[in-house]
Amino acid sequence: MRSITIAAKNAFRISVEAENISPDKLAPLTIEQIGSLFVWQGNRQKKLSDLFVVEGDDGPATVEEMTIRLVGDFSQVKRIGEGMTAGVVEVQGSVGMHAGNNMLGGLLSISGSADDWLAREMRGGKVVVMGNAGNYLGAGYRGEKCGMRGGEIEVRGSAGAYLGEHLCGGSIRILGDAGDFAGAVNQGGTIFIGGSTYLPGAEMSKGTITVKREAKVLPSFLKTEIVQIDGLAFQKYAGDNVDNGKGELLVGVGSS
Amino acid sequence: MIVKGGIVYDPANGLYGEEMDLFIDQGRMVEQAKGEEIDARGLLVMPGGVDAHSHIAGKKVNTGRIMRPDDARQGTEPRTAVCRPSTGYTVPNCYAMGYRYARMGYTTAFEAATPILEARHTHEELEEIPIIDKGALTLFGSNWQVMECVRDKDLSKLAAYVAWGLRAARGYGVKIVNPGGGEAWGFGANVKGINDPVPNFDVTPAEIIMGLAQANEMLNLPHSIHLHFNNVGKPGNYTTALETLDLLKDIKPSRMRQIVHVAHMQFSAYGGTSWRDFESKAPVIADYFNCHNHATMDMGQLLFGSATTMTADAPLEYGNARLTHNKWSNHDIELEESSGVVPMVYFRKMLVNAVQWAVGLELALLVKDPWKVLMTTDHPNGSPFVNYPEVVTLLMSKSKRDAEMATLHEQVPKRTVLGGIERELDWTDIAIMTRAAPARILGLEDKGHLGPGADGDVSIYNLRPEEVDTSQDHALVKKALANAKYTIKGGVLVSKEGRILAAPPGRTFWVDAAVPQADTDRLMIDLEEKFAKYYSIQIANYAVQDAYLPHAKVIRAGLPVPLQEVA
Amino acid sequence: MIKDAVCSFCGCLCDDINVEVEGGMVKRVRHACRLGSSKIMGHGRIESPMIRKEGKLAAASFQEAYDRAAQILLAAAKPLLYGWASTSCEAAKKGILLAEEVGGVLDSTATVCHGPSVIGIEEKGLPGATLGQVKNRADTIVFWGCNPAEAHPRHSLRYSSNSCGRFTPQGREGRKIIVVDVRETRTAKNADKFVRIAPGSDYEVISALRMLVAGKGDVVPEDVGGVSKADLADIAATLKAARFGAVFFGLGITHSRGRYKNIDNALSLVAELNSHTKFVIMPMRGHYNVGGIGQVLAWSSGYPMSVDFTRGGPYFNPGETAACDLLARRDVDAALIIAADAVSNFPRATAEALADIPVIQIDPYENPTTQLSEVVIPCAVVGVEAEGTAYRMDGLALRLRKLVDSILPSDEEILVGILESVHKQRLLRANEEA
Repeated sequence: MRSITIAAKNAFRISVEAENISPDKLAPLTIEQIGSLFVWQGNRQKKLSDLFVVEGDDGPATVEEMTIRLVGDFSQVKRIGEGMTAGVVEVQGSVGMHAGNNMLGGLLSISGSADDWLAREMRGGKVVVMGNAGNYLGAGYRGEKCGMRGGEIEVRGSAGAYLGEHLCGGSIRILGDAGDFAGAVNQGGTIFIGGSTYLPGAEMSKGTITVKREAKVLPSFLKTEIVQIDGLAFQKYAGDNVDNGKGELLVGVGSS
Repeated sequence: MIVKGGIVYDPANGLYGEEMDLFIDQGRMVEQAKGEEIDARGLLVMPGGVDAHSHIAGKKVNTGRIMRPDDARQGTEPRTAVCRPSTGYTVPNCYAMGYRYARMGYTTAFEAATPILEARHTHEELEEIPIIDKGALTLFGSNWQVMECVRDKDLSKLAAYVAWGLRAARGYGVKIVNPGGGEAWGFGANVKGINDPVPNFDVTPAEIIMGLAQANEMLNLPHSIHLHFNNVGKPGNYTTALETLDLLKDIKPSRMRQIVHVAHMQFSAYGGTSWRDFESKAPVIADYFNCHNHATMDMGQLLFGSATTMTADAPLEYGNARLTHNKWSNHDIELEESSGVVPMVYFRKMLVNAVQWAVGLELALLVKDPWKVLMTTDHPNGSPFVNYPEVVTLLMSKSKRDAEMATLHEQVPKRTVLGGIERELDWTDIAIMTRAAPARILGLEDKGHLGPGADGDVSIYNLRPEEVDTSQDHALVKKALANAKYTIKGGVLVSKEGRILAAPPGRTFWVDAAVPQADTDRLMIDLEEKFAKYYSIQIANYAVQDAYLPHAKVIRAGLPVPLQEVA
Repeated sequence: MIKDAVCSFCGCLCDDINVEVEGGMVKRVRHACRLGSSKIMGHGRIESPMIRKEGKLAAASFQEAYDRAAQILLAAAKPLLYGWASTSCEAAKKGILLAEEVGGVLDSTATVCHGPSVIGIEEKGLPGATLGQVKNRADTIVFWGCNPAEAHPRHSLRYSSNSCGRFTPQGREGRKIIVVDVRETRTAKNADKFVRIAPGSDYEVISALRMLVAGKGDVVPEDVGGVSKADLADIAATLKAARFGAVFFGLGITHSRGRYKNIDNALSLVAELNSHTKFVIMPMRGHYNVGGIGQVLAWSSGYPMSVDFTRGGPYFNPGETAACDLLARRDVDAALIIAADAVSNFPRATAEALADIPVIQIDPYENPTTQLSEVVIPCAVVGVEAEGTAYRMDGLALRLRKLVDSILPSDEEILVGILESVHKQRLLRANEEA
């Protein structure tokens, strides 16, 4: 195994784009080479070592063997782990927007919270967030038909609005609440929300959305039966009927 | 500038692969010149490419961009010392259009459909497209004034209106799209064929087409009418195509050219009664073109992958959107037209798409005379123009076609005849279909050839025509065509091996046709009433102002009238 | 007398304005509404460029202002170039070039008005038409979350409810007007039917209408967003019975709960209505050329708003790259505000972020943004003192005229001045380094 630590030298006011910080990009490089990779801060292209301190095992290694630990304030650092296919990225703290964009494999774990568009267009692998996630978790890019297509996301806290928008596969599990329009245009993925949400499953055509506590349900969903899951009662709905959707929405009944 | 030692294909001047030097001075081809030498020894040299039918500017192109950030993010290239940034694949930004055409060795492209009312927008975009020369065809096929003149059988007033409309739009020629259908779509309907009356106007599409074709010849316009048939994109529509072509066969052309240019013939060469028994009727259409000389066509080739369909045929787009469950934009233009935009993906394993792919190629290969068929993809309807090298190599290589056919839906051989076509086009055919013929069909005298006086537009490819086997080495050919070794536009070296070296502004061609003042006077009474009652803007604010065409190139045409009578 | 001038106030771009000019001054304006007339007549202007020195704005020359502006932009890692809704497309073109040159983010006021509509259009497309099409054909018109009686005073007479055309000779008499809003506006008072919905319930109400239009009313509950099912069924029937229907929508729906999803859903409703009859939909754009900056930006960069040029290639992601997002996160370090009053229009926290960074203002009028600006550059008013292109709310381009002379440069000229200074300072710096 190869383990390296990247520490942020400061808290960044102007956000940093660091799509190079992924196991795929760093595994084949030595510590020195890693330091000379480019990152962007606004319109300034900088060396990674200008903004971060890189330490740990020297390379090269395979992507699978690679673990990257991020320490310090990464809350304004975007695109961490973009396109990663294997290995581990462990953020000790919070992470900026677009972490795990287009992720294909490996593990991205975040001990704090994640900003918007975490795991945008994810295809595989696993993302775990101990804190909260922002808007558009597991969603797509503007105008695209598909967001996340595969993989697994778990958020121990809450998630923002438009969770899993255009979901085409994979599963998302939120232990807390989710914002408005969770699972909009779901086309075959699975979403579990431990808390409450508002207007879930708008225009969903396939897939399942389970809301353990409360949800305001759209007038275009057909109320069907009460089902028991793990000893709890859920009201089942079919929809979204505006588009003749065949999705399944389950909302907890009387749980507290 | 001297282009040294190239193997020159200039079919308009009877040069079919001759080794020779070319000379350019002050932007034009000349017999002798000095200056910078471009080493083209042994390489394929042709005039700059000319695209006679492409959707490159205006409201519907921009609507395609606005509704498709998913497309824009593909093909992003940052700005450089020479270039503005590029984005997009099927709907590139203006800058990318200029650079990408130039990289392929193209130096001219015409926007195929602009309503007069929105021509100002079209010219704003055309002016932003760098390098290439441009022009825009003007839509007349569902226009109230046109239909009323046709209904009243007032041909001279119609001609006066066409001249007035071209001037107002700074347009180049007469475009007709699904004639009458755009008006019917104003209330959500369509016309079903050329003899189906247009609701509320008491004319048929056939009458509109005939009237505009006659007016076009009365005005002696450089280009013929440019026609998008009724029933485009529907199974069994080849009969509409044949009926329409036959209507026009006895009209006398005012110039040495066709009477009608058919847009994207591929979309109108279908048999069958539904999508289930959908099949190619390209052989029947090709026969008609082989036996008649009044019509030309562009292929409108479809390629697999992403496209954005955009057309003034609005009901067709609504159908597309419903069929594919895709996003749909529509835009109706008061008193003049309709239009629509729908993104599309074409699949090899989808029978309809695979047959469409074959139909385009069949048309180009079965029509014997290459002067009658232009190589296009109806950008971005069939595929974006950057894929022209793919189309050219398919036309030049039977083995490439066979290899492709093997990857398609298994029913394709039963629905098409492509597998049995042995013909492989050569460089002369390609030079005609991408240079000489589009220039002649558009009536652009200084384009598409390399004779003295022609525009100094030359493309030089990293291919040795005397060595390369285009039938077998199609991958090599495709690569060479995608990025010309050199593209020269108006005597300026603009692109080298895919790198843009200079981005001068291109010119915009438009046609100013003279008509007798008396006809214009009669016309203005009608138009003033239309603006007072129906248009949402004033007549004074309607025509495109000169400020929008800082690089205009005006072509004069029209009736032989005394100078003082010119409006 | 200047005939058929185009009014540069709101997105209606009325082009039948007659203006009497005497001694280089506008004396009288005919045909314009109160709002347009007041703009054309002119009012309090900034007279001279100003640069802040020791905390106070002091008069400066144009060149000094251009140089200081260029210096601020060049020093910034992420400058924001914001506004563009009340100036010409010609100015927008120069602004985009400037954003490319200095590696900035360019955004328009759409971000605080119809930005959500644009995102909705990216999901579903826009089935629209020119306004003349509505005038000539529409027998059913829905105003949803907009109040043209107050905001677009001549809309109804020129283009919608009260206009007459070829197939609508009776004007208002021959039309059904439906208003959907959370309060009874002046527009609602003149409607045939006013539908009061609960705040934030637009999305649900539209979903219910989609169900009813499709004949699936059995699923719809008895009350949706405070409207009875019977009422909704009645509206759905009216929409389907239209010969030509038009929906106009405003900030009441784009900025209520649901935001772009509301528009997304409305676009689907209109698309589906076209299976039954003819229907179009369009946003009621506020500032006269907020449509134009969207068009110019789209053909230049591929995207209609919120374009980030910091890395050289355009990047677009509202929610991340919009002016409000960046300011709320304090993720910009300089701003150029042109033809917009950002301080008044942004949410408070967002506006406060402007106080922490150097701001360049280009505007004819003093407004709250002036108070926190480092550089203030006054300009001629487009459509009154300068020519230029604007796009009407339906996307139609019109050429605005110059009615009177001004000693002030146009926005376009000012931006060229800043661009030239950027080039000059960059060259100077390159020479120093060499």
